[in-house]
Amino acid sequence: MIKINPLMPVKAKITEIQKMTDIEKFVTINFQDPTDQTKFKYMPGQFIKLGVMGVGEAPISICTAQTEKTGLELCIRNAGRVTNAIHKLEVGDSVWVRGPYGNGFPMEDFVGKDLLLVAGGLGVAPIRGVLQYALNNRERFGKICLLYGVRNYDLMLYRDEILEHFKHGDSYDVKTYLSYEDETDKVFMGLQQDMNDRCIHGLVTKLFGLLDPQDANTVAILGGPPIMYRFTAMELDKLGVPPEQIFMTLERRMRCGVGQCGHCLVGTGKSIKYVCKDGPVFTQWDAINTKGMI
Amino acid sequence: MTALLLKVLGKDKLPRFFDILKNHGSVFAPVKHGEKNHSFQKVDSMEKVELNYNRTMISPKKMFIAPEETIFTFDKKKEIYIEPEESSEKLVMFGVHPCDLHALNLLAKVFLEEFTDTLYSSRRDRTLIVGISCSPDDFCFCKSTGTSFASEGFELFLHDIGEKYLVRVGSPKGLRIISENPDLFTELGDNDLDQFKAVENERMNSFKKSIEMAGLQDMLDLSYDSQIWKEYGDRCLGCGSCNMVCPRCRCYDVQDNIDLNLTTGERVRRWYSCMLQDHGLVAGGHNFRPSAYERIRNRFNCKGSLREDMPNCVGCGRCSVYCPADIDFLEIMSKIRGESQ
Repeated sequence: MIKINPLMPVKAKITEIQKMTDIEKFVTINFQDPTDQTKFKYMPGQFIKLGVMGVGEAPISICTAQTEKTGLELCIRNAGRVTNAIHKLEVGDSVWVRGPYGNGFPMEDFVGKDLLLVAGGLGVAPIRGVLQYALNNRERFGKICLLYGVRNYDLMLYRDEILEHFKHGDSYDVKTYLSYEDETDKVFMGLQQDMNDRCIHGLVTKLFGLLDPQDANTVAILGGPPIMYRFTAMELDKLGVPPEQIFMTLERRMRCGVGQCGHCLVGTGKSIKYVCKDGPVFTQWDAINTKGMI
Repeated sequence: MTALLLKVLGKDKLPRFFDILKNHGSVFAPVKHGEKNHSFQKVDSMEKVELNYNRTMISPKKMFIAPEETIFTFDKKKEIYIEPEESSEKLVMFGVHPCDLHALNLLAKVFLEEFTDTLYSSRRDRTLIVGISCSPDDFCFCKSTGTSFASEGFELFLHDIGEKYLVRVGSPKGLRIISENPDLFTELGDNDLDQFKAVENERMNSFKKSIEMAGLQDMLDLSYDSQIWKEYGDRCLGCGSCNMVCPRCRCYDVQDNIDLNLTTGERVRRWYSCMLQDHGLVAGGHNFRPSAYERIRNRFNCKGSLREDMPNCVGCGRCSVYCPADIDFLEIMSKIRGESQ
């Protein structure tokens, strides 16, 4: 038996780059070897280790749902050494991939449920994969609500896609709600003027005031910073969504992605988790039970 | 069938036993290192081996996960990562204590089960492990952690029962050594088992340190906001010595080093420490454990947890022995349990 080192990456080529904001790029990559492509089966919420030769690797969440289409789409914020190097690459350049890692969102458990998606900032990237998955299998899921909070229009990610859902989503039963923090933002002020029951000034948690009552058939799926999770969980509690039906994805320092290097460890003696292997998707119940998680 | 798996080896035959081990590979055994310490080093004769040692500073984990090692080399022009050719040298670890055997069993769970680390796997496959019994000193508490006796994870294990060793066989490789050397390993005498039990009982009664592990996981959870962490966080120097000497600590960092030609280089893996400031730091500048008290709390919760279905501590006492700030593992755990102030 040929043993393959689990830390060995495979080569992929960048096939598309779009500037999303001043610090975020939308990058599509394709595996060089078709067998790597075939082997690569993933669920929304899983992540890869993306590397640049000579620089290093960084954990990056996949922001698509798997389809026949071959490209793997990633939203990459220029935040550290590796992502800075990725931002300097061009179409045709090579990157190195390991994964997919982590548990991902249990999409098949959500079948028949209403989905309440809540995203803040860069946390929208994995949520986009969840939404794509649900839209690709639209009849298998109930009502879908997307709540997205941004600082301003310039920092909004997947602008065109989300505004498309915002304006036309009702026709395929996706209600989109937007919140913005910069009260001088002209674009959002315009959106609010047109649809003040869908777009308001404030934090993403303020959008819960606009929602219809939810019932126990709702599954909430969150992507954002830990502070958003704490406050969103309180709002969801008020709406009657139980903690085991609230799913969130976490970020930690990760070197290996396979539960060995120890950096992503979180919790206490009673409940201790590797975010890379046991997560990165956890429920609100896990967060209550595992101290230090959010 | 006991007769197959239990033999006796006279202490006078140790040099011959050592020669047999040498035929199976380079022998690493505890030797005296400086005034007080011991270290697993390559030895060529039995004379240098100190089987009567308390603990080595660095545990046998160093033989399986190197403190620093190249996991790949790369070439940017050729666009290729290459695994370095792994040595095929046969190795023998002679004189491993039960606590360290238990530690290796946990490392095997982490590095061999779900994602098999090829380096670890290769090294374990070509290493023969011979354990040896020991008696507790002022720092040992392996009786509490359930690791004072090893029943697996070795080829052979030597129990000192006075004039001779009771030899326990732990693997087919071990059995082969026994059967190939019938003149060296003899059948048990009439009193050998009684003598073994007497020695074991005396050993188990001679522990000076202990900690109740049952329920410790919950006590740690209840102490999440305790002042204890601040108190010891202020004392901790953040040097990471406790992690280096711990036989079950396995955190590693990965770093890419590029050569001066800017084309070739290597990806290096090295032991890392959860007590260092950047252990929880992510890109963008957020640190999930920015303060010393958060890091020491994380370490103790990790040690006390049952993450791999066993405590992450084997009671070897190394972290307490080698802490330059004299932070005592059991002192903290005893405060966590509310046994002392």
